[in-house]
Formats: sequence, structure tokens, C-alpha cells
Amino acid sequence: MNAPVSRQSKIRQFKNRLPNGEGNSVQRQSVWRSIVADRQRLQTIVTLLVLLLMIVVFSFFNSRFLTMSNFQNLARNTAPLIIAASAMTAVMIARGLDLSVGSVLAACSVVAASLAVKGVPLPLAFLAALAFGAFIGFLNGAIIVRMRVSPIIVTLGSLNIARGIAYLITPSAILVGLPPDWSAIGTAKLGPFPMPILIAAVIALIYSWASQRTKFGKHVYAVGGNEEAARLSGVPVERTLISLYVLSGMMAALAGIVLSSRVGSGDPNIGVGFELEVIAAVIIGGTSLSGGEGRIIGTVIGAVIVGVLSNGLNLSGVEPFWQYVAQGLVLIAAVVVDKRVNEGVLRMGRRRPRAA
Amino acid sequence: MSSIDLTEPALAAGAEQPLLKASGLSKQFPGVRALTGVDFDLMRGEVHCLIGENGAGKSTFVKILAGAIQPDGGEIVVRGERAGLTGPRDAKELGLAFIFQELSVVDGLTVAENIVLGSEPGAHGRFDAKSASATARKILLGIGFDTLDPDMRVGRLSTAEKQAVMIAKALCANADVIVMDEPTSPLEEQEVRRLFQVIATLKQQGKGIVYVSHKMREIEEIGDRVTVFKDGARVATLSRAEATPRELIRLMVGRDLGDIFPAKDRRPGREVLKVRGLSGARIRDVDVTVRAGEIVGVAGLVGAGRTELLRSIFGADEVSEGEVSVDGNKVSANSVRAAIRSGIGLVPEERRGQGIVGVLSVFDNVLLPWQEFPGSRREDGEPEIVARQAVESMSVKTPSIRQRISLLSGGNQQKVVVGKWLTMQTRVLLLDEPTRGIDIGAKREIYKLIDDLAKSGLAILLVSSELPEILGLCDRILVLNNGQVVGELSGDASEAEVIELSMLHGDQ
Repeated sequence: MNAPVSRQSKIRQFKNRLPNGEGNSVQRQSVWRSIVADRQRLQTIVTLLVLLLMIVVFSFFNSRFLTMSNFQNLARNTAPLIIAASAMTAVMIARGLDLSVGSVLAACSVVAASLAVKGVPLPLAFLAALAFGAFIGFLNGAIIVRMRVSPIIVTLGSLNIARGIAYLITPSAILVGLPPDWSAIGTAKLGPFPMPILIAAVIALIYSWASQRTKFGKHVYAVGGNEEAARLSGVPVERTLISLYVLSGMMAALAGIVLSSRVGSGDPNIGVGFELEVIAAVIIGGTSLSGGEGRIIGTVIGAVIVGVLSNGLNLSGVEPFWQYVAQGLVLIAAVVVDKRVNEGVLRMGRRRPRAA
Repeated sequence: MSSIDLTEPALAAGAEQPLLKASGLSKQFPGVRALTGVDFDLMRGEVHCLIGENGAGKSTFVKILAGAIQPDGGEIVVRGERAGLTGPRDAKELGLAFIFQELSVVDGLTVAENIVLGSEPGAHGRFDAKSASATARKILLGIGFDTLDPDMRVGRLSTAEKQAVMIAKALCANADVIVMDEPTSPLEEQEVRRLFQVIATLKQQGKGIVYVSHKMREIEEIGDRVTVFKDGARVATLSRAEATPRELIRLMVGRDLGDIFPAKDRRPGREVLKVRGLSGARIRDVDVTVRAGEIVGVAGLVGAGRTELLRSIFGADEVSEGEVSVDGNKVSANSVRAAIRSGIGLVPEERRGQGIVGVLSVFDNVLLPWQEFPGSRREDGEPEIVARQAVESMSVKTPSIRQRISLLSGGNQQKVVVGKWLTMQTRVLLLDEPTRGIDIGAKREIYKLIDDLAKSGLAILLVSSELPEILGLCDRILVLNNGQVVGELSGDASEAEVIELSMLHGDQ
């Protein structure tokens, strides 16, 4: 085998073995590639289809589902989720996580209510709540960034702290003594649209615009996609991350105000498990757990899926316990589908070696 | 702000003044003198190579330039002005750019967004996408990469293209000192050529390039001057004419290494590994035979299926057709466990990610298969003794076999990865890029070990992107292209022949 047989003849022999028809498969690939060119867009479309399917199924099973009043109800219920999830999307794109949003929501709700009961003008009370949320967010961000502690641990800590503060302010819901327009935000409507969903829409639009059209938005993607690269490019990584946590705390506070206004109280018990719903909405919406990828529009659809699921199951008389099971299954399914789509696109998009 | 001026007058005006000058740089880490009184200068339009073994101080030097660590002594002068480098922002403002081995691009952003990252166009915090695209297009055109679409996501680019994005990014930041750390190690031969063209363009534009590399051939080809580091100090700065590979090695190692490859005086015996018609997702109808005492090389471009071939033989990648046998006994397909039982061992491509378990000790790493497959052991006995023997026979340098493996040098880690197969009745050793990221002294040791292993009767199949390595070690060379064997050459083939063969069907 080591004998110096004619090398050239061997090369020729191998050359002849190359199959024909290579070009066809390449062409087919490029057509397919252009369809799925933008993985994110494809994913948003898939998520939207899932949502439509759910709506069709629920309206088939329940006549009350497809009514204006139910949709208004649904919109009011989903608004806090959309608000907090928009902020969470940005945090998660930057490869962070904020588990404290549910507790911050509750703490801010009672901060606003306790001030309102003492006669502080409502706008000031709400501002105080927003500031409190921003403050908790700042602490989260500062500790995560400066002390280099994992966001899961820091925000798990502040989840407990914020809940504790809520109970310290008031051990039970504040119902009496709230000014009459406490419920204005939660119950007002603009045309057919409940005020909460309009607020949520504005927040989502701002987040969506900022993530795509501002330097800050580009920095968020860069920090999540490759923190070191961002730092070496001169991106203010720490400031970007801290801002995101501040905003997340503030949006949790806003969600808390909207929710408290709707239920007509300041309640330290609200928002238990809210952070998981928020994260579920973000992930169903296609934001990558490993950062660097995600879109607000996906999150909005994800939040509506979570909302429609519980609303639809409620109307169909399904026990609340089963709703938990259903929500968990949807979440897992979303991640599995995401992985599949991802792998599919990777396979299609894989580049052949090129001779320059 | 970010235009490249091809007629920059710098060539004429500032020719005498160095772009960058470091004098007496020192850095002490707890217990280690990383750098002692290093002098270095870089002129406009010059490629100044930096060479030295791992731990010689190259990366400390580069990190000081990048502002990632602060020197204890000495000073850095950029364009005649003393520079205080305390962070990446300082380096950027001074016009220093870095292209590291681990490419720092953001996959989720587009080409244009990556290029302008950190100095985005647009007023009041708005991101001006149009202007970013235009800037990117102009810069890419300047370095001959105008086929790259500025609006394409970087995640979809090849390594070479990502590198081009990094270079464009340096130009966008108006950098005129570009530090490249082992830029060609992830590249294929023809991509390297293209990079060298870009470097030539940069030289013409009056940029200065600090080029860190292990590869003699590249240094000979593009280096205007070469500085050799050893043990944290500058040993010598040579002109291109003085910098022969032999001289460089002598300076780096402090002694004459002679030929780094062992003589090919092996006498292959009977067939051990026989692969017939092996096909899978990335390989098609591959036949390979390796005899006892023989080293067979697998050459080809990245993506040609070299790694996949090894992994398929090892049962780690799914095989749809074909068969593998060792000493005439068929190995059941698609099972790593079956492959190990049949006497096949794999030294994978990514040492850190696939070869070692970093948190475990040398002892635990070397005994991983031994403890798992009692029936296939080479010899039984006290684990302690078996491990020690394997470590000694590979001459691994470690204070104790209880040492955490991640604390060893790359070369020693790799020896442990090879050593773990020596505790087993291994007949076939599959080596995937066994010397990647290992310095030249350790490389030479590993070549010697591979030769010794072959002489002891192992059949060895070797994948490497470094052609000299394949040509220097192997008795026969298979060339893969698009998952198929497109040719077989004898061990005395020339580089040109291998390259020609791997590229013949390169772009179909």
C-alpha cells in the first residue's frame, strides 16, 4: 500500500467518483433559505399561528369566549403581564433574569395604596410606587453587575425582600379609604379598549422601538450576545445592564399599579408566581435563554397566549389546578418547538466550504 | 468619522516616529514574573511578529496593550505621546484594535451593527441603520470583502468572514495599530491567503500590525520584523532575513531543537482498522484502512467532514451505512461504548470542551474509560498505579496526579487525554487536531509520543489543519472533500499536492 503507485492516476480515479446533480440540492436550499432567512420572524409567525389556533379551539368549545366583553376582560387581565414581560424581554436578551417582578409588583401596589390612604395625591402615590420599583431594580442591577453575582440568586433574594416589605407595610389588603379614582386606570376605556391594555400597548411599542432603533437597543443585544465583545467595543456594559434592571423594576411597579387599580385595592398578596408567568411569556415569545436574541412582538404574543390559555380554560370550567398543568405543558412545548426550528434553520443555513 | 483614506500621508510624514513604543514593560503576578523589562516598537506600514512559547509573556504583553491589565513598570508611547491604558475604552480611543483567537463578534447583530458597535452613528441615541450599512459597505470594500452583505446576521458567517468583520470594525474605529493574536489558527489555507492580502492592504494604508503567531511559515511570509519572547523577556528582535525558522526555534526554546518531526522509520504491520463504505450526515462512502504501526493523515478543508469521519468511526456521530472493523472484528455501529470495547480511542478536537473534565483531577481523567470498562483494560491493578503509569509513560508534567487537570498546561492536558487510552487495550487511536493551541516545544514532544505509540503497534488516524504536521508525521494521507475521499497521497507528498486535491472540488 505504501508503494509509490502513480499518484495522479489515483486522483483521477477518485475525481470520477463524484456524483452528479449537486447543483439541484444547492438551489433548493437557497429557496428554502430565503423563506426562513430571518429565524426570529419565522418564530414569531409560528407563535402567532399557535395563538390563532388556540383562539379557534376555545371559541369552538365555548360560546362566551368569542365575545367583546370577554376580550375586554382578557385584555385587562393580560395588560400587567405584557408590561412586565416587555421589560423582562430586554433583560433576558441581555442575558439577565429578574425573578423579583411579582414581589416588586405587590410591594409597589401597597406603597401606592398606603400613601393614597394617607391622603397623598394619587399621581404622587403612583410616582412613589414607580420610584420604589426602580430603586429595587437598581439594587438588583448594581449587585449583579458590581459584585458579579448570578442574577438568579440576586433576584431570588430580592423576590423575598420585596414580598417581606409588602407585608411589613400592610399585612392585609388595603381596601378602605382609597380615593375614588384609585380604580380609574383599571376600569376606564377608550372606545372599546380598556385603559390597561392601551398602557401595555404603549409600553410594548416603546420597548420594541427602542430595541430596534436606538443605540441602547443595539447595546442590549450586544451585551447578551457576547458581553466581552461588547465591552471591548467600548459599549458601556455595566450601565446598560443596570438600566435594564431599573426599567424592569419600574415596569413591575407599573404593572402593580394597573393591577391594583383594576382590583380596587392595595394588596401584599398579589403577584405570587407572576414572575414565572412573565418568564413563560418571554420564552414562548421566542427569546433565547442564552441571550442575544428575542423580540418584543414575540413576547406580546407569548403573553397573550398565556392570558388566552387561562381565560379559555376558566370559561370552559377547567379546574384551576389543571390550568397550572396546561401552562407548564405549553411552556415546555414552546421551548421544544423553538429548539426544533433553530436546528432546522441551522441545518439549512449551514455554509459549504468555499474556495475564495 | 470612519472613512478609510487610502492616501493617508502618514507613510511619508511619520515614518521615523514609531506608531507604538513600549519600553521597560514589567508585570509581576503573585509568584510569577510575567514580564520583565520588555521593549517593543511598531512602525507604520509594518507587520511586527511576536513569537514565543506559551507562558513566554506574549499574552501578558497583548493584555497590557489592550488595557486589560496594568503594568507594574515601564511605559507605552502611542504616536509620540505617553499613554495610560486602564481599560478597553482607552485602547480604543488611542486607535488600538485587537483581533483575538476567540472572535469577539456578536452573532445576533448584523455585519454593519457589529462593525459600528460602540461608536454607532445617529443623533440623540437613535441608531442610524442606513448610515451604519453605508459605512460598513465602504470599509468592507476597502479590504476586498465587498461581497459581504452588511445587513446579514454575523451568526451566519464563516470564521474567515467574521474575522473580516473584526478587521472592518477596527478600521471603523480608526485604529492604526491592529493586534492580531493567532488569527490564522481557525482558518483554512485559502482563507489564510485572503487574510494576508487584507494585511497587505492595511500595510499600504499605513497601519501597523502586531502579529502573534506560532506558525513559522506565516512569520517568514508576512513579518517585517520578529520579536522573540522567552520567560517573560524579549530575547531578540530580528529582521525578516535573519528570522529563519531554525533560528527562531533556537531563540524560543533556548536550544537547537533540530527537526521537530521524528524520522519516518516505522514499519507498518497488518491491517488493524478497516472502514468500508462509511456514510452519515456529513460523510459519504468512506473507505479507510490503517495498519498497525502506521499513521494515516486526513486532510481537507474545514467542513470537509474530517472530524465527522473520526466521530463516525468512534460511534459518536450517526452512521447510516457502512462498517468499521478492528483486527477483523466488526464494531457495532453508532455506539461509543462498542467502539471503546473494540479498542478504539478518540482524542477529540476541543480539548477543553470534549477531551477533559476540567474540574476533575488528572487521576480521575486518565481513569475515565478504565473505570468504566473493566473488561477492556490493558492491565488490572491498583487504580493509583495504573494512573501513575499512564501519566509517566506520557511524561505528563504535574505536581501530583491529584492535581486538577484544568491547572495543567494545554500540552500536558492533551497528554492526559491520550494517556487515558493507554490504560485500555487500545488498538486504534483517532487524533483530532492533537496539537491545536499548544506551543512548539510541547508540539514536538507530542509528535514524538505519536510516533512512539505507532511504533508500539497502534494504528493511528490523524486529522489536522496544519499541513506540515500531516506531512511531517503521516505515512499516508487521505484527502477529504465534501464528506468523500477524493484522493490518497503518500507521506512524501508536497503541500501543494494536498492543497490542490482538497480544493479541486471545493466550490460546487
